[in-house]
Amino acid sequence: MREYIATFYNHFGAVRFERELRKMGAPARMMPVPRDLSSSCGTAVKFQREESDFSDFRDEHGEIEQIAEILEKSYRVLWKSQS
Amino acid sequence: MNVKAERITIAVAGAVIGLVSVALVLLGNPANMGFCLACFIRDTAGGLGLHRAEAVQYIRPELIGLILGAMLLSLFRGEFSVRGGSAPMTRFLLGFFVMIGCLMFLGCPFRTVLRLAGGDFNAIFGLLGFICGIVAGIYFLNRGYSLKRSYQQTRPEGLILPAIQLVFLALVLAAPAFIFFTKEGPGAKHAAVLISLLAGLLVGALAQHTRMCMVGGIRDFILFREPKLLIGFCMIFVAAFLANLMSGHFHPGFADQPVAHTESLWNFLGMLLAGYGCCLLGGCPLRQMVMAGEGNTDSAVTYLGLFVGAAFAHNFALASSGKGSTPNGRIAVILGLVVVTVIAVSNTFNKKEA
Repeated sequence: MREYIATFYNHFGAVRFERELRKMGAPARMMPVPRDLSSSCGTAVKFQREESDFSDFRDEHGEIEQIAEILEKSYRVLWKSQS
Repeated sequence: MNVKAERITIAVAGAVIGLVSVALVLLGNPANMGFCLACFIRDTAGGLGLHRAEAVQYIRPELIGLILGAMLLSLFRGEFSVRGGSAPMTRFLLGFFVMIGCLMFLGCPFRTVLRLAGGDFNAIFGLLGFICGIVAGIYFLNRGYSLKRSYQQTRPEGLILPAIQLVFLALVLAAPAFIFFTKEGPGAKHAAVLISLLAGLLVGALAQHTRMCMVGGIRDFILFREPKLLIGFCMIFVAAFLANLMSGHFHPGFADQPVAHTESLWNFLGMLLAGYGCCLLGGCPLRQMVMAGEGNTDSAVTYLGLFVGAAFAHNFALASSGKGSTPNGRIAVILGLVVVTVIAVSNTFNKKEA
């Protein structure tokens, strides 16, 4: 399974996302946003997922800023909010 | 950048900011006030005549530099992003009361660290209050508190606050007759304009690069046991403490500390209000200024709240002085704690869209 990280527009977005992933049995953990990924200083969620295609991903609550794949020494942004 | 490299970067940045803060005192700023967001916003409001407390009127170039430094580096790094629209009136009100709390204590979280580094033990109560305020804010954060998300805005919207800073710079340099300059008091103590401006630019750029934030530091440590942001402020303390010690500016004790009072309860409650409000805003006044420089208009509105709060604090005798707190100030802090709690509760439970 690959590891991903999602950043949010507010802290509660991260709390809700982590809670929903855990309910589905997916490993997820909240953490501070890594500096390399964003200059904002909020809360991110690190999670694992089999599926690596995010093109059909839908952000139900409109709280996710971006989702990136965690590579060895960098991140690859796979999905970004359009607003 | 891995976690270790991030920690080293923020530690170095913190040490530089600590040294810059003490250097500004040696070059003319008030003691233990090389840098203070609350005091400098208050002085700037006075310089523009928004309050008439004659001892604290001076447009502080450090603040101008801070916002412009953060803006320039964020533009250079491609991180200048104009966003806003997340509960601006609520943020204005929170900013207002954060300033009331800071001026009860006489300093922002940044100056709390600088006061401690100068041996001012009154700041211990301020720091304890600040931490308790953040814990109160975290309680609501974890239960659903949200001011809703921000949205992309036009670039000119994000450039308004930096442009205003350029106007302030022109005013402090040209010194027209309608601008106020303190003749005696803390407002009269300042480094040369260019030095203050350069110091502000440097601190703004370092704070942008490292995301230095006192609230974020304590919040992340409590929530995730992540000490990264806290390391920055610890290093500000260590560097400023050593520089004060070597330059003969370390005077340990409670009494007769510069621009400070000894009322422990009100020092605690003032910073409790500041920490509580800042946690709900998502960052300390330093971080708000830096984010405003990065194009965050919600932070720019928070700055306006801090600004108006400073003017009110002196127009209505809410701000403390070296003699202690005022009856009006005590009422305002209690009122502030009630208002911030109402904001916290109403944005946490039973939220209904208009």
